Amino acid sequence: MQTTGRYFDGEAGQRFDVEVAVEPNQELLILSHPDLPADRIHWPLDALRALRDGARNDQITLSLRAARSDDSALIDVARLTISDEIAIEQLKRFTPNLMKRDLPKGTAWRITSRIGLAVGALVAMIFVILPAMANTLADIIPIEREIRWGKSIVAQMERFLGASELGELACSSPEGDAALAVMVDRLTHGTKTVYDLDVAVFDHEMVNAFAAPGGQVVLMRGLIDEAGSADEVAAVLGHEIGHVEARDATRNTLRATGSAGLLSLVLGDFTGGSIAVLLAEATLSASYTREAEEAADVFALEMLDTANVSTNGMAQFFDTIGKSGGHIHLPEYLSSHPATDGRAEAARDFATGQGETSPILADAEWQALQAICD
Amino acid sequence: MNKNISGRYYGESRPLFGLFIKTSILTVLTLGIYRFWAKTRIRKYFWSATTGDGDSFEYTGTGLEKFLGFLVAVVILAIYLGIVQMILFFFGISLFSEPQTQAEVLLQLAGVYIPFFAVVPLIFFAQYRSRRYKMARTRWRGLRFGMDSAAWGYVWRAILHSLLTILTLGILLPRQTFSLEKYMADRMWYGDAKFEQQGRWPELYKGMKHLVIALVIFAASITFGVVFVAPGFASLLFFIGYIWFVIGSVYYNVYAFNYMTKNKVLDAVIRFKAIATASTVVKIVLVGILLSIGFLLVVGIALAGIFFGVLGASFGGFTFGGGLILLIGFGGLFNVGVLLMLNGISLVFITQKIIAHIVDSVTVENAPHLDTIRQRAADKGADADGFADALDIGGAI
Repeated sequence: MQTTGRYFDGEAGQRFDVEVAVEPNQELLILSHPDLPADRIHWPLDALRALRDGARNDQITLSLRAARSDDSALIDVARLTISDEIAIEQLKRFTPNLMKRDLPKGTAWRITSRIGLAVGALVAMIFVILPAMANTLADIIPIEREIRWGKSIVAQMERFLGASELGELACSSPEGDAALAVMVDRLTHGTKTVYDLDVAVFDHEMVNAFAAPGGQVVLMRGLIDEAGSADEVAAVLGHEIGHVEARDATRNTLRATGSAGLLSLVLGDFTGGSIAVLLAEATLSASYTREAEEAADVFALEMLDTANVSTNGMAQFFDTIGKSGGHIHLPEYLSSHPATDGRAEAARDFATGQGETSPILADAEWQALQAICD
Repeated sequence: MNKNISGRYYGESRPLFGLFIKTSILTVLTLGIYRFWAKTRIRKYFWSATTGDGDSFEYTGTGLEKFLGFLVAVVILAIYLGIVQMILFFFGISLFSEPQTQAEVLLQLAGVYIPFFAVVPLIFFAQYRSRRYKMARTRWRGLRFGMDSAAWGYVWRAILHSLLTILTLGILLPRQTFSLEKYMADRMWYGDAKFEQQGRWPELYKGMKHLVIALVIFAASITFGVVFVAPGFASLLFFIGYIWFVIGSVYYNVYAFNYMTKNKVLDAVIRFKAIATASTVVKIVLVGILLSIGFLLVVGIALAGIFFGVLGASFGGFTFGGGLILLIGFGGLFNVGVLLMLNGISLVFITQKIIAHIVDSVTVENAPHLDTIRQRAADKGADADGFADALDIGGAI
């Protein structure tokens, strides 16, 4: 093979238009030019490396594998560019290692140690420091501010559910409101609560309820429709009050904003990255709320017991939503209610140990509550 | 070698688009980890397509070093961002409600602007470091470029100049443009030859003429709206002013690029010339936008067809929960695809075409002196632009 090439030695900026020849027997590439030291340079063919991802397919730029490098590419500073099509073909045939990637020694260790550090920092932040900070901040936030914030979240939720103006979804009737007040009074009678509860019913078919920061609890009409008795609604309400008292919504939102920032940082801004962040964040907050859900369940059981209401209602409610299939994902500041096995069981077990109980509402009151949105 | 040599760009649309799609799919599949390699490969393409006197530029950065640099940045930013973000959110909670007192109004404003200002120094820092990293990883004719390590000096200068520009309502913008570019250019090297930025900042005022015209139109719009109470005409004027302003910004940037390039000197001997034109850049951007809109229209029509087809055929078959998740999953995948295509169109038809125009517009004068320049020791510590990657600065290139 015989051709010409543009050669730069990587020391001087001067270009040498060299004669290039391959001698397969000696396994060498020979570059010759009168101005080169000793007129010629020998490049071992097995050390030849081609630059990758070039825009020009009419030429190839060659270099040599280096023992060490000043930048991260482990190749020599000298460059030889060849534009002769046939010569390029032949070179590719003679040099099996042309496209090989070389890595400096210790690369694997550098990668693992740095991944370890980064993962360690992230894990510590997301699972230890951020939750701890969220707890502290949730406890020191002034109650008035929390209430105002909660109100705006309820308003956002109303818009999210399709209200074109605020208050459009809120259900109210004199008898229904009275029945709801009776329910809240009976529940909170024996259990001290930090927050003044503000319970509302929204006219929406979703079978759900949520607790916003600052004592705002919203029941959906779908939930009341689905419930077989007032005790079932009371169980859900007790559960939501548990979230309110534990300030779960507040702490969840605080923690979520911190870790969402971190996750988007790690996943970067690649196309569709925000979707990946959402998914990752949903998984995170789901695992977080499970503990909170259990605590709220326990809170509800005790609250019902104190109010002399049977916890069988809670068991029945879990059975019902367990049968009707999956639940709908809500934004993370709302506590969702997965119908996990065992929750109904736990409520039923608890009921066997209860003393005298009575329904939370009289039949007439329960009918009034069911008709609150009509 | 000729006395003058000119730049020439060899990149083409199809191979770059293919490279972009291929690397983007790998990025999505690896949950973002491949993005460092993706960026590197795209850069290698741009760099190698750029030639002077027939010799290609070379990008010697690697995906691995970017990944490692990013991991270091993650450790620092994880702590900074996680904590700062949560504390700011805590104080920003009152944003959700109506402010009652003057103090609360101020607090809310602070809540909006502090998060932004908290990252500003880091962004300037990353800007300088990113340019330094790119210089350290760029070679031409076997010699590497380089830049001195002086990012913090850039940070405080950039902050002061930005404040001055804002306080003077943009009157000192040329001074900012000139000084910041001079700060960087005076620290740049090619081999052992140093760059020097010459020129005077008031010269850049000529480039602001279309911005001034836009402001006059805005003023006229306000006059007509307020004094003569002609809201229709006023909003028409406002719209024209807005378009003029956007084009005026392009004109200013191109003018500044030409002026700054013309006044750069390498090794006290080699000079440059740049004759980029704003009209070409505007045309490229317009075509790119039209192509994107065309693509979206086609997608929209196809989507409507598919949607109604699916709705009619099988909606009854879905159980609600499963169907919803399926739809969301499908929608997510579809979104990723559309965004990917749009980014690809923008990279190939806007970014690459503008780069091509700029490269083709540059001439190097007194080029034979290039032969006397020698290699300079590598910049130590010009590590991968981990912060820039983490803060998403510089986009695809």
